[in-house]
Amino acid sequence: MIEKLIAIKFVTSLSRSLLGGALASVLLVGNAHSQTVESAMVAIAHPATAEEAIPRASLRAIFGMLLQKWPADTPVKVFVLRDDAPEHATFSKSILQVFPHQLRMAWDRQVFSGQGQYPEQVNSTQEMLSRVASTPGAIGYARASEVDKNVRVLKIR
Amino acid sequence: MCVYSRFARVASRAALLGALVPWAVPVGALDLLDGDLQVHGFVSLGLVNTTDNNFFGQSDDRVSKDFSEIGINGSWRVTPDVQLSAELLSRTAGGTDDGSARLDYGLVDWTVSSSEEGRGGLRLGRVKTAYGLYNKTRDMPFTRPSIVLPQSIYFDRTRNLTVSADGAEIYLERYGEAGTLSASLALGQPQTNTEAATVALVGLNPPGHLDSKLAPDFQAIYEGAGGKYRLAFTALHLDLRYRPGYGDRLGSGRFKLTPLIFSAQYNAENWSLTSEYASRRTSVKDFGRFFYNGDATGESYYLQGTYRLAPKWEALLRYDVYYADRGDRDGEDFSAATRLPGFTRFAKDWTFGVRFDVTPQFMLRAEVHRVNGSGFLAVQDNPNARDLRQYWDNFMLLGSFRF
Repeated sequence: MIEKLIAIKFVTSLSRSLLGGALASVLLVGNAHSQTVESAMVAIAHPATAEEAIPRASLRAIFGMLLQKWPADTPVKVFVLRDDAPEHATFSKSILQVFPHQLRMAWDRQVFSGQGQYPEQVNSTQEMLSRVASTPGAIGYARASEVDKNVRVLKIR
Repeated sequence: MCVYSRFARVASRAALLGALVPWAVPVGALDLLDGDLQVHGFVSLGLVNTTDNNFFGQSDDRVSKDFSEIGINGSWRVTPDVQLSAELLSRTAGGTDDGSARLDYGLVDWTVSSSEEGRGGLRLGRVKTAYGLYNKTRDMPFTRPSIVLPQSIYFDRTRNLTVSADGAEIYLERYGEAGTLSASLALGQPQTNTEAATVALVGLNPPGHLDSKLAPDFQAIYEGAGGKYRLAFTALHLDLRYRPGYGDRLGSGRFKLTPLIFSAQYNAENWSLTSEYASRRTSVKDFGRFFYNGDATGESYYLQGTYRLAPKWEALLRYDVYYADRGDRDGEDFSAATRLPGFTRFAKDWTFGVRFDVTPQFMLRAEVHRVNGSGFLAVQDNPNARDLRQYWDNFMLLGSFRF
């Protein structure tokens, strides 16, 4: 029992000290980036979506393919670009605050245990905009500068 | 009988591979019904060479090709609240798994209630067992950190008992700014109907079979900062009874196994640190004088680091420790009682591995294990305990394809 506690203590203190260092460096790097990046990428949704703003944690759960419905009970349909698309990396890191490879791992874990499905992958920002505009319940992302009036920009609250 | 089962095995593998080919040709996911129906799968082949002892087939100073995994799954989101999923798996792993196709999972997942802050629901059918961080997708090579999972916790020898169970699982998830908290409680019938499960517990050529009571399985996972850190706790309880066969030397014995697992992981952009600690209380009784009855608490832990060297390259270093009985770590008491080597009761495994993602669909891996002890080796591949060696190395190569 004591050994178990020591082992746990060791692991937590180790992860805590590593965490501290890593968090500090992430914050430093993140801050320098976030201004340009955060204004560059936005979450977009089908124009008939009831929500104007959404908590970051819920947005994460939606792109993590956990949350399947909008609060108004309509089904969510998630669109993403390829894992190695710069927009995907930027959106994941600055808006969802998740690394793209972790998002992929979370999808894999669900698909290969029968608990969830993959989001639909589109090939370009143009396709993203047109699919989100034409699919009820759709959610995706795009550069703020490329967003047109056929989709709604979702704010983070 | 033997010829027939061999034929059935080959036929079922061929059928599974045949089913894979049409999907695999236009590489990538197959989406039907507007993406509500998805089909995915994987094919993985491994090579194993050991300096002593056998791992996944006859690998001692030879190359064993008896390690392969083929899976194909389908999922259909019937409504936003209901998903049907099933996976067929064919797995070969030396003497412990013969490659015959079986249902890995087959379930209906019903989200009973859902809001912006969380959801809760029910899974019914053959449900994957929540057990540490990796068990639910343990046979899908792309989700593993290494070619084989740390054997101290994810025994490949006794995997059938903890891979999935027939029953029900309730789950709850909360999505908060401080992180995601998920919990699940399952009650199911573990798969005790395979010979591998029986052999792992009672030894080679058992005339009898194992029965299991419904097994409760609880897991709670906390993920902070979008999964940068993950903490988990798992508790499982197995209660098995041995039904002796005709002319059996063993009595109607009883096994009780209660593993508790504590898991912690930190994920940075280019590296991850993972550690799991398991304590396994085991109680063995009523098998009679030809068996090692008694109570013991097994103990396992590993510390693992992975580093992304380049976008397609990842390196792994791990130290993995297993003790069958923490009151007899070096196995001396066991050795005195059974005259079998004490090093069969522990294993300390240093692992170094490299992963190369040639494409997102195709992965190559190489791995070296330096092991002290034979605690996690399967008796099917090592039938004579006196032939075992305490110090041995294991080299593995793996090629895996997914779609």
